[in-house]
Amino acid sequence: MAKLTYKMIPEGMLEGKYVPLNIAFIDYKEVKNAGVTPRQAFEAVAKTVDGPVGMNIFDQDVVTTTSDGVMVEGTVRFMAAADKGRINPDFGYLEMAEMPYSDELVKEEPHLIQWKKNYPGKRLFRGPDPATKIIPVHNVCISGRASNNNSATEMMNIVTMEEILLPILGQQQIMRNGKVILGMTGGIISVGIGMIMPEKFGRVFPTRQFPAGETAHGSGPYAQTLKAHIPCIVADKAVLAENIIKCLEAGCIPGRTVGASPAVLSVARSMGVEIDMGNITDKAYEELGSVGFTKEWMQEKVDILTPEEIIARADEIIPGVVDGTKYNVPDLIKETTIEL
Amino acid sequence: MKLMHTKLPEFLEKMRVASEESPNPKPIEIRGLENLTSAKMQSLRTGRIEHAVREMTMRDGVERIEFQVIPRVPETMHTVIIKGIGKDGKAKSAILEVLNILHPTEEAYLLDCDDIEDRRPGIGRH
Repeated sequence: MAKLTYKMIPEGMLEGKYVPLNIAFIDYKEVKNAGVTPRQAFEAVAKTVDGPVGMNIFDQDVVTTTSDGVMVEGTVRFMAAADKGRINPDFGYLEMAEMPYSDELVKEEPHLIQWKKNYPGKRLFRGPDPATKIIPVHNVCISGRASNNNSATEMMNIVTMEEILLPILGQQQIMRNGKVILGMTGGIISVGIGMIMPEKFGRVFPTRQFPAGETAHGSGPYAQTLKAHIPCIVADKAVLAENIIKCLEAGCIPGRTVGASPAVLSVARSMGVEIDMGNITDKAYEELGSVGFTKEWMQEKVDILTPEEIIARADEIIPGVVDGTKYNVPDLIKETTIEL
Repeated sequence: MKLMHTKLPEFLEKMRVASEESPNPKPIEIRGLENLTSAKMQSLRTGRIEHAVREMTMRDGVERIEFQVIPRVPETMHTVIIKGIGKDGKAKSAILEVLNILHPTEEAYLLDCDDIEDRRPGIGRH
């Protein structure tokens, strides 16, 4: 009988933070080795959970982009939500779309200059093709109380209305048994997740709705409050620094060819990389300034550090996460094995 | 065309009658339409739903009826109308925004029930 091993966070308190639903992280290799389809794997996991559960199948062999446009290894290829063993037949399951490489795509989405330089030959996945959805809901799966949003990077219990953020690099670390920070999202990340890059079939938006340098939030001083009180599991800042450095070394320019998020801006400033301040809109400046990332801050002279120094000092250089604690993933998230 | 759509108050009355004046009368509690003040309900389904309510009152062991209406589509898109009203009580200006709202699907209402007969046509059919 085939077996499936995956990582599971149970609903309830996790080291002092409230996880509003059960969360399963499944490696795509496990699914393939078990000889089942992704949907069958989700159904098998759902049957073991007597409550709401968000489920992700993560492929470590492909690449994706973060919301601010940094290219990283590994992403969720299949997502689902279930409640008490049931997956809603219309809205409970989605697959991400592959974006094949083309020079035309890189021209439309210039942050993808990272692709050939840093990850040549790797397949790219972000969000789903909207044509595969039964109606044009956002990139969400909902079954009963469980909701798995924004291409599997945010999960919630719609009845209790509690939520958790799961940015993709944090999920990469979970799958790799690396290091994560568990904490509260806070104002800086709330602002940062609005500084997106235009992408077709993106993780949040299906079309290239917002240009680089713009904010998707467009909510001025309110942007910092949008996700501030929600728990999150994010990658260790050294991992984030390493990925942003690779992006900037590939030639991406904050505000023009990579999103002007506080994390990107902070690493860029310490590397001495130019920020395209003229391309950042007034609305984006208003949001960035509300959490301290003003034009003056961007122009302030700081010590230029080597990539190694930035990675070593990532905790002080990259802002964000309130009341966070760093964990080795095996100390925080346990593995479960079921028979199929 | 009178029968194509049913008025909201008529709809509510029809459901009450189907349950409370059934050959096996049962109390009914209708939820999920409280926010509607003016609406027309699909007549084709109104009749079928009346029939289903009556049928449920006749089933063995049923003591009362819970009647819950939820969005079948769990993300509904709404227009928000923000109006500034002057001293004269008239609108001076307005801003329109959009708001998508997420809702639990039917599984959340059926946690205690395994005997479920899904009579809904596929999405896109009526």
